[in-house]
Amino acid sequence: MHIPFCYINPYTIKSSSGYTFQLQEEESDFKTHYKALEIEYPKFYKMDRLSKMAFIALNHLTQEIEFDQFEDDEIHMIFGNTSASTFVDQLFSESYSLQKSPSPSLFVYTLPNILTGELAIFKKWYGENCFYVCESFDPILFADQIAFAFQKGAKGVLCGWVESIGNKHEALMFFVKNPVSELEIIELYNNLEK
Amino acid sequence: MSELKETLKAQIIEQLNLEDLTPADIQDDMPLFGEGLGLDSIDALEFIVLLEQFYGIKLADPSEGKAVFSSVNSLAEFIEKNKK
Amino acid sequence: MAIIPIYIAPIALISPLGNDLEDHKIALAKNLSGIATQPKVGFGDENWPQAKINTLPEKNRFDHLLNIGLDKIAEKFESSLLEHESTLVIISSTKGNLDLLPLNPFDGIFEMVKTKWNLKHQPILISNACISGVVAIQKAADYLRFQKFHQVIVLGIDVLSDFVTYGFQSLFALSDEPCKPYDHNRKGINLGEAFGAVLLTKDANQSNIVFHQAITSNDANHISGPSRTGEGLYRSIRKLFEVTGVKASDIAFISAHGTATLYNDDMESQAFHRSELTNTPTFSLKGYFGHTLGAAGVIETIASLFCLQDGIAYKSLGFEEEGTTCAMHICRENTKTTSKFALKTASGFGGGNAALLMEIKS
Repeated sequence: MHIPFCYINPYTIKSSSGYTFQLQEEESDFKTHYKALEIEYPKFYKMDRLSKMAFIALNHLTQEIEFDQFEDDEIHMIFGNTSASTFVDQLFSESYSLQKSPSPSLFVYTLPNILTGELAIFKKWYGENCFYVCESFDPILFADQIAFAFQKGAKGVLCGWVESIGNKHEALMFFVKNPVSELEIIELYNNLEK
Repeated sequence: MSELKETLKAQIIEQLNLEDLTPADIQDDMPLFGEGLGLDSIDALEFIVLLEQFYGIKLADPSEGKAVFSSVNSLAEFIEKNKK
Repeated sequence: MAIIPIYIAPIALISPLGNDLEDHKIALAKNLSGIATQPKVGFGDENWPQAKINTLPEKNRFDHLLNIGLDKIAEKFESSLLEHESTLVIISSTKGNLDLLPLNPFDGIFEMVKTKWNLKHQPILISNACISGVVAIQKAADYLRFQKFHQVIVLGIDVLSDFVTYGFQSLFALSDEPCKPYDHNRKGINLGEAFGAVLLTKDANQSNIVFHQAITSNDANHISGPSRTGEGLYRSIRKLFEVTGVKASDIAFISAHGTATLYNDDMESQAFHRSELTNTPTFSLKGYFGHTLGAAGVIETIASLFCLQDGIAYKSLGFEEEGTTCAMHICRENTKTTSKFALKTASGFGGGNAALLMEIKS
């Protein structure tokens, strides 16, 4: 089965629509990626890296998927990673231990599920969503949760594995309109030429 | 005062991650919240951090900030008056 | 589709109000609060009221509390049940062990739970801000309904930390007095810490309370501010009524979120009004436990189970004077209830809202 996806890291974007984007140098704030989207969404600059990657990946998926065909609560979101919001946690903790003033705008991103909130705001999606923290990429969890979502009336499920810790920043986002097996998810994950 | 305003604009852009803007895009009397720059409640709280960090001014109650943060003019006036 | 009945039972609760379920049942019925002023816990050494478990050590509170909680549960169950193929564990926590920073605060938690109980399946961890606990219970029911599991244990845990205190302080969201949910003079939240656990099972012998369904909906409005109209919460409740066939007039009480911030409580008043729940007895438990983040949904569901068992709705501690945009029926005293359905709601950062329905069988 064809599963529309988008993979992103600080050098690369690769999507199932055939789009590829390659940078020579790492760009940690994803500014060039964003500019290439040619979308006006100044909130992007305020986002943490998890949200930025998810935002960019979602906008590439729209090349292949007409999200407008769905009602505003028919798309469920299932996201996960191993590092939760550790990257921003460190920044927020530095804001009070080193800069001596706790930053409210960093604090609000010290929850990994904020990224699903950002996507919901951007797309005006009112559907169910959940963020999981896992020991490692967990295809069984995704397959199970996708199946549950369809049982409960979802028409589409947006899934994401979004990691940001140390110097590892990457996201895999994919969209399904039907249940998929864990093997199909493993295949998708393993076939990415990272 | 005008020097302070220019510094403020740069600080606002830096602190609030308004990367699409340059100081020249922010007029002195432009409303910062709502229609103007489109800032929100978290930005207002970042203004409080900015005042404390760069100017040593403490705002105890965020509702005080409403008038103060309405434009670069009002911010600059407030800083001039309260600066230590 | 025939719906398999799922039963829900409280199994553990640790908070400043006590170390077991019975302690809590008594304390809640007596309207005791676990909140007390903690000296110099603020970023500028301010004193803040918090619901602190005084017996925990200062370092690694999370691991200690989790350990105590896991031991308590292990006392209640045969180890053969915990180790069984048909048992799943779901953990709800927003922040994990922040003392591990700069390392991942969730490092080691899976290993700890898995080895302690010798689990067959990898525990699932949900970190979905303040609705995590309700979502974890919802997912537990999904696993029972759609898969081969027979029982799911849901753990909710979060502890006090400088990190979270300074964070809410930077948002000007903390109250310097014991919090006053829904009150005209509410000033914000008190933070708290707790561990709670519930069992969801297909075994009717374990409980006479049925878990019907839980629904979540995003506000699609703002990452840290609730929708001004209560849109997401309203949609969760509306859909919950739709899928269960239960009406607003069937609800005995609402155990609501009630953080005592200006906007949250107001948003809830709008959502309940739109759901025709204006006259339903409503209370927040934040005046008892403070806001315990990832634990809140679980421990407040436990308290709702107590209410169903005793046929009451708890007094909403801290409430004196009406102060929300839409009228609400906030319980000024413990209130006798007549119906058998309980509604638990939660809302949180990231725009999440959740509504959960339970029923006691006579």
